[in-house]
Amino acid sequence: MFVPDQEVWGQVDYWASPLEMLGKGRGDCEDYVIGKYFSLLASGVPVTSLRLVYVRATIGGPGGEVLAHMVLAYYASPGAEPLILDNLIGEIRPASRRPDLDPVFSFNGDGLWQGVGAQSVGDPVARLSRWREVLAKAHAEGF
Amino acid sequence: MSLIRQIWLLLLATLLLALVAGVTIVVRSARDTLQTQLQLKNSDNATALAQVLTQQKGQREMMELAAAAQFDTGFYRSIRFIGAGGKPMFQREATVRPQDAPTWFVALTPIESVPGVAQVSDGWRALGSIEVVSQSAFAHDELWHGALRAAEALGVVGVIAGLLAFLGVERIRRPLDHTVEQAASLQRGEYMTVAEPSVPELRRLTRAMNSMVERLRVVFEGQAAQVESLRRQASCDALTGLSNRGHFMAQLGAALNREDGHAAGGLILLRVHELAEVNRTLGREATDRMIRSIAQTLQVYTERAKGAFIGRLNGADFALALPQGGVAAETAKAIVELLRVALPAFGARVSVSAGAIETRHGQELAAAMTAVDFALAKAEGDEPFTVVSASTTDEVLVSGGEQGWREQVRAALNARRLRLATFPVVNAAGALLHLECPLRMQLAPGGPFENAARWLPLALRSKLTCDVDERALILALDDIARDGQPRGINISPASLQDISFAARLRTILSESPRSARHLWIEVDEIAAVEHFDIVRELARQLRPAGARFGLEHAGERLGRLERLFEAGLDYVKIDASVAHGVALDPQRAAFVKGLATMLHSLSLEVIAEGVSDAEDARTLWACGVDGITGPWVQAPESAPPAS
Repeated sequence: MFVPDQEVWGQVDYWASPLEMLGKGRGDCEDYVIGKYFSLLASGVPVTSLRLVYVRATIGGPGGEVLAHMVLAYYASPGAEPLILDNLIGEIRPASRRPDLDPVFSFNGDGLWQGVGAQSVGDPVARLSRWREVLAKAHAEGF
Repeated sequence: MSLIRQIWLLLLATLLLALVAGVTIVVRSARDTLQTQLQLKNSDNATALAQVLTQQKGQREMMELAAAAQFDTGFYRSIRFIGAGGKPMFQREATVRPQDAPTWFVALTPIESVPGVAQVSDGWRALGSIEVVSQSAFAHDELWHGALRAAEALGVVGVIAGLLAFLGVERIRRPLDHTVEQAASLQRGEYMTVAEPSVPELRRLTRAMNSMVERLRVVFEGQAAQVESLRRQASCDALTGLSNRGHFMAQLGAALNREDGHAAGGLILLRVHELAEVNRTLGREATDRMIRSIAQTLQVYTERAKGAFIGRLNGADFALALPQGGVAAETAKAIVELLRVALPAFGARVSVSAGAIETRHGQELAAAMTAVDFALAKAEGDEPFTVVSASTTDEVLVSGGEQGWREQVRAALNARRLRLATFPVVNAAGALLHLECPLRMQLAPGGPFENAARWLPLALRSKLTCDVDERALILALDDIARDGQPRGINISPASLQDISFAARLRTILSESPRSARHLWIEVDEIAAVEHFDIVRELARQLRPAGARFGLEHAGERLGRLERLFEAGLDYVKIDASVAHGVALDPQRAAFVKGLATMLHSLSLEVIAEGVSDAEDARTLWACGVDGITGPWVQAPESAPPAS
């Protein structure tokens, strides 16, 4: 169930780990994306074909409300058109069929995690990034 | 390795370890910090660059330009752009070597520059990833300078710690040295006490050693007192405390025959007339008082003239031996005049007569006694308080008076007209302990080699004894070097008072160290009584050379030498006046036995002088002496004939 962070966690923006979200039974967009990302990773999808994408979402057709949002993109092959997993529209559609989304910047666990290792919860670098925090929490939860 | 050196090594090792550990820790933590910062920077810059590249709408030239601009700042080792298919699209690399840090330091402290990676896309299209690696050479230089600064600071701290440790070690070392010195002196037989140090462990040790020395001193004093009482029993007249007949005769015989005795002397025999009659009229008590009064009058003379000695030969006879020629008659007259005034107080009939003779060195004891008896007999024939003197001396020594003698001694010394006589000292098994070597001097060129009695008084007056003793030492060392026989020489008490003498001896000994180990050096007992500290110092100085050091002509005063056990001696030679005739005198034998036991308890060897017959020798061995010497003693067969 989609609920803004402010309501769930009492913070403007909070990145929950999959178990945290399941525990609460609700989350916001990045919590959904994170949940999906780790679920797919766990089911054997290679990390290189997944990307978390910051998008500018226009809700309710052109000229509608503009909202900072995050979705998960799946690339069947490098350079191919990705499939978009989104909590605004439950159906998985190729990117070309999501004119409401305008990608801004994307990232995944590839590279970021490299060389840092599993023990990096105490690493100052890890503490700087919320993404890393989530990665660490997910790792601690067994993903 | 010495304790102090071990402490120092330990301290240095600890300081060095602390220095190395300190620098290592500083360098390691600095390296970890630098590495983390590098990683952070890589990651941040990769993300920032990726965002910039994502804005370029997939235009390759623009992307390359942006990446190149970033790279050209010079802070990067490499920037790579890898296409979505894994193909490198763009690559810039530069290697910068550290400017200051040496190669070994770089090898020792590798800094890993973890690449920062971020994704680049154009809209939904994934373009690839950008990989940024920062330059680590700067980090190495920074690390090197940090290490140098840390080493410098820790080095300064180390030097301060070393200085403090030095002061601490010095504080321990001084009392330790004292304690070790005391232990060493105990081993050498100098039983001395030292001040207690402030270090608790050492204080306990020193206190234990001091109390041991103290106990030893008590034991020694007990023994000494016992020996002294034995000596009194053996040699003293019970009433007056003067020497008894036997002891006086032994003393006189030794004085007349001793190698370094006096060339001329005097002998006075004093007799109380009709003592039995006096005893009956005055009563025993008054008679005893009179006898003691006479003894006191005589004692004044022995105190005045060094080397004079008196004895009560029997009830009525007193004898006084003088160490100087030409004064016997005069002294006898003075004594008799004193008594003429003093004795009437005891009774009108109390009177004395005296005979006086001149003696010379080498004279037979019996002849001297006969002569003095004869003189006394003549005096008794005359009225009371008469003195008869008879000159038996044929005193023609050297012409030219004292000045002439002095010149002759000097000339003999300069011309090396000297040689050593040898008298064997043997142990109970008959083996040679050493050859006693008195110096003989040829006063006139071509003349006889004279013994010390003739020239020693002259050498004394001319203050030549140091030179004489030095020559004797050199001759003995030469002889030892020639035939390997151990030799003993004696040193004049007068030489000891020369401050430079000990140093001169030591120099000579150190020049022939092999011979020095076979040398026995002795001084008269009287030197140890009068100049104890000098004798002890001499013993200490001679010891390193390996020479043995002892007392000669000892016995009379040993029991009174309270600090004998501090002297650090090796042996003691008991005077002929003590050792002579022990076979016939059980009391004297008991004294010798007590003396030997006491000296053995101080680890000293005991040698008896002046042994003149087999009976005496047998008794002396039974008393426990270690060696004997004297007219009766023959050199062992193996020894070369005495020259």
